[in-house]
Formats: sequence, structure tokens, C-alpha cells
Amino acid sequence: MAGKTSWGGVSVTQFWLSFGFGLSTASVLAVAAVGLSLQFGVTNYINFAYGDFMALGAFVSYALNNEILHLDIWVAMIGGSLFMGVVAVILNRLLLGPFARRFTKTFYVLIVTFGLSLIMLNLLSAIWGDNVRFYNMKIERVIKVGPMLLTKNQLIVMALSVILMLGVHTMLKTTRLGKSMRAMSDNSTLAMTSGIDTKRITTITWFLSGTMAGLAGTVLGITEGNLTPAAGELFLFVIFAAVIVGGVGSIYGAMAGAVIIGLATEVSAAFINPAYKLDTAFVILILTLLFRPNGVLARTGKA
Amino acid sequence: MSAFWLYVFTLIFFLFDYFILAMGLNIQYGETGILNFAYIGFVAIGAYMTGAVSMPNSVGTGQHYILGLNMPFPFNLLVGGLSAMVVSVLVAFIALRRLRTDYLAMVLISLSLVFYDICNNYVPLFNGADGLYNVPSPLASVLHLTTNSFTVVFALLTGVISLIMWWIMSRITRSPLGRTLRAIRDDDGVAAALGKSVFRYKLTSMMIGSFFAGIGGGLIIQFNTSFNPSAWLPGETFVVFAVIIVGGVSNNIGLLVGSLLVETMLVHLVAFLPAIPGHPGLILNIAAMMIGGLLMVMLWFRPQGIVPEKLRRSPAAVSSVTTPTEYAGIDEGVSHD
Repeated sequence: MAGKTSWGGVSVTQFWLSFGFGLSTASVLAVAAVGLSLQFGVTNYINFAYGDFMALGAFVSYALNNEILHLDIWVAMIGGSLFMGVVAVILNRLLLGPFARRFTKTFYVLIVTFGLSLIMLNLLSAIWGDNVRFYNMKIERVIKVGPMLLTKNQLIVMALSVILMLGVHTMLKTTRLGKSMRAMSDNSTLAMTSGIDTKRITTITWFLSGTMAGLAGTVLGITEGNLTPAAGELFLFVIFAAVIVGGVGSIYGAMAGAVIIGLATEVSAAFINPAYKLDTAFVILILTLLFRPNGVLARTGKA
Repeated sequence: MSAFWLYVFTLIFFLFDYFILAMGLNIQYGETGILNFAYIGFVAIGAYMTGAVSMPNSVGTGQHYILGLNMPFPFNLLVGGLSAMVVSVLVAFIALRRLRTDYLAMVLISLSLVFYDICNNYVPLFNGADGLYNVPSPLASVLHLTTNSFTVVFALLTGVISLIMWWIMSRITRSPLGRTLRAIRDDDGVAAALGKSVFRYKLTSMMIGSFFAGIGGGLIIQFNTSFNPSAWLPGETFVVFAVIIVGGVSNNIGLLVGSLLVETMLVHLVAFLPAIPGHPGLILNIAAMMIGGLLMVMLWFRPQGIVPEKLRRSPAAVSSVTTPTEYAGIDEGVSHD
């Protein structure tokens, strides 16, 4: 009888259906947002090519899954993510790091990442074309979880995301690496004078950020069911919304923002035309900027 | 007239049009230091509004759009410029007040995508993903122009308009307003300490720049007679940035040089090259990668651009101790360690 009750023309069943999708989107978003925030915290500039990092990771997974080796999608995903991690380290060493050290104003390095995004997008489109691609995976039966209907892949993605978040939390709080990263994020000069090898930490951070971008890109392709070179760039703006809503530079804020934005976009799609679901994220972003400009979980001094 | 000359005049049109667009972004980025990653959105607003007011009432045209006033040239163009200006005021009040550079850039790039998303999906506004087409060519009926002679006349007209805009812009940049904007760019804390309202000046800069964006966009839609949402994804903003940075920040001659090198040569000249068989679009992909690469090389080896910013001296400060590069501001961000 639950289906009979409705508000705003949306039945309870529809609501829970979109809520399930929301959790799945939030899981993808959390991985992507934490990867972006880790790098932002340590290097103190936003990587505008992050969406294309996601797309590159997703397409390398696609190549491993469909073109060479024909690996299972989950194995291919690990390959694509690690590949993207290595590429991120190389890009930092050869391109972004030198620019960030040479120019004290963030302007320059931001424009360089914006340019890198243009190059990567066109590289992907030159190699794989602009046609929609699909991963080679089994059609899954839907599973009933409480009032929600989810596919097995969505459940795996959620579990993966939760494990990863717990992993990041443990790393930041208990390991020497995590403590060094937090120290650099607070004050990188002070961290350096305290004997932290900032160059090494930066390299590791880029590796983690790139790997998480590749992972997020691939799971986005898995949950959405398709991938295009521009998919990462369009998703980037949802990541920005999550990061700003949570508070820029805060890892836990990024997680909270991902849940808020993920649920809001998908649940609102049940009430309004789904074509505008991304604009919901933007409305929340603007409201946050107007009323709580430092984010829900604010960290002082970053805005 | 041969196809060759038609093609040359198309290139001339884009040279002057992107000169106007570059001047608009330059007052925001080059003079004031606002990293406006949503710039192409303002170009699009100008283009759509110019198109929508100059087209006949939408009933019976097979397209859906607002207004439809049959407004003649150049009033339609002014409407385009002013609408972009009005939207920039709204954007400035939300985003420009207290966000630091990268926060602002994130919000603006998101805004750019939202503009795109709404215009692409909401058909009654500007015909959705199909975009506007059959936009009337200005002056064509008055001067009895054919499609070919229209290209020539309109390219030259755009040249004249860009010269007028150039004159206006150099008046602005030489005025006390321009000096204040550059002071804010170099150090907004100092400008604020001297009693300048940083937000008000940034707002003024956004408005002037967006007006130029709107005019440039209006000219594009009238030249092409159509405008499609996919023509203004955020990557297009990057092309305008490339024009400025390659040519020379805060130097109008430099912007013209940048427009010639980046927009005319790398964007439009390559579009006329024959496609590599079996790889449609590959040449355009390579050209776009070249723009990105060129910009990085320029930023590293010659951050002031091909034609650097001129040393501006007031008579009172002729014996200033600052060196030209420091004074020019663009090298100011380099740390010499």
C-alpha cells in the first residue's frame, strides 16, 4: 500500500528508488571529491583537469576490459586507476609542480590545469572518438535492499566507496604519511622546516589523487552504464559542488558534501525533469555560498 | 567572388570578433585579476539575446524562443551586450564578494556549465539543443546584399566596431578607473587600504568585460546566422584565455596578435583543412591540443606574452625606482628563488 501514498506527485516507491540511485551517485562522488580534496589540501591549488583524469582512468579501464587483455571489469578498474595514479605523478613532476613552484600567484597554475584539461579531453577524443562506449559486463539482476532496488554493481561500488573512505580516514589519523599530509595541508612551510619530506609527500598525494580519479571515473562509467571523453568534465562540476558544500580542503567535508549532493541530485530527479538534476547541485552550491561560504564542515582560513 | 576570398573574409571576421572578446576578458583577467572561467557564458548570453530580439515572433518559425521583436541592427547588438552586463551583475553579487581566486574559478566554471545545461535542455528559452538558426543578417535587406557580399561587408563592419571598442577600452584603461583596477590586480589589500572599494571596482570590471563579451557574441550569431549550445562549453573560454596570454596581457595590440595566432590560425584556419581519411575531427583535436601546449610554453618562457604590457608612467613618477617588468605587473607573480 506504500505506493499509494504520495507527495508532490511522487510515490513512496519512486522516492526510495531515487534514494537508492542517490546513494550510488554519492559513493562515486565521495571517491572523486576526496581525491580532489587530498591534492588541493597538500598543493593548495585546484586541479581543473581532474574531470579528465577521471575520463582517462575510465578509458584505460575500458581498453583493458574491451580492447586488450579482456580483463574482468573490476580487475580492469584497478589497472586503470593505478595507471592514472602514475600519470598524475608524472604530470606533477614535469608540468604542474614546476609551474606551482615558479609562480607564487595561483592564477598561472590554475590556467595550466585548465589547459591540461583541454589537451587531455582532445587526446581522449582523438584516440577513442566521441562515440558512447560501454564496459563489457554482465547484465545484473536488481536486488531488493529494504525499500530500495539496487543492482549488484551499485552495491559493490557502495561497498568499495565505504571501504576507501575508512581507509583514507585511518591513513590520515594513524599513519606517518597521513599526519605529514595533514601538516602540509595546514602549513606547508612549517611542515618542511619540521623535517617532513614535502616533495615525497606531494608525489604520494598526486599518486593517491590520480588513482582515486581513475577509480571514480571507472565506477562512474559502471554505474551510469556508459562512458564518453567529456563525461568526466561534466561530472567535475558536481564534484566542485560537493567539495564547496562540504568545505574546500576538508576531507570529511568532501565526504559529507558528496552524500548531500549525491542524494539531492538523484532525489530531485524524481520531482523535476531529470535533465535538470545537475542544476540542483548548483542551487545548493549557491545557497551554501550565500549562507555558509566556508562549507558545512568549515575549516578556517581556506576560503 | 571566389571561395578563397570568402574564406579570407571569414577569417578576418573572427580575427576582429575575438579581438573584441579578448578585450572584454582582458579587463577582467588582465587588468583586474578576476579569473573568469565563465566568460564564454556571457558571450552566449549576448549571442542568444541578439538573436532572439532580431528574429521575428517565434510562432510559425518552427523554433521556440523568447522575445522575437524584429529589432534592427545595431540595437539588437546593444541588447546583447547589455543583457550580458545585467547577468554579470547578478553573478558578481553572488560570487565576487568574498571568494578567493580558485574558489571563484570553481564557482564560475560551474556556472558556465549550468548556463549550458539550462539552454541545452529548456527549449522555450532559446530552442534547446538545436540552438537558434535563420537569424536575420543585419543590413542585408537594406543594402541588397547576397550571402557572399554580406560576408565581406559584415567582416569589415566588425573591424570598424572593434576599432571603436578598442578606442573605448583604451580610454577606460588609461583613466583613473583603469589605474585602480590594475592596483587591485597587483594587490587588492593595498587598494583597499587606500580606500578603494575592491568589490565595486571588480563589479565595474565584470560589467564592462561582459558588455564586450555580449557584443562579440552578438556579432558571431549574426555572422553565422545560427548559434548552438555546444559552441560554448567551458573549453571555449580557454581559447579566449589563450588569445590573451599568447598575445600579451593588458596590451591591446597584443590581444590583436593573439587573436590572429590562436583564434584565426589555430581555430579557424585548421577547420578548413581537409580531414584525414578515417579520422574525422582528428585535425581539430590536434589543433586544440596545440592551443593548450602553446599556452603552457608561453606561460613558462614568456609569461608577459608576445607583446608585453606597456610601462605606464604618470608624469609625477618618471623617476620611479621600479623596473619595467616589475611595474608591468605580469612578472610580479614570479618568485626568483
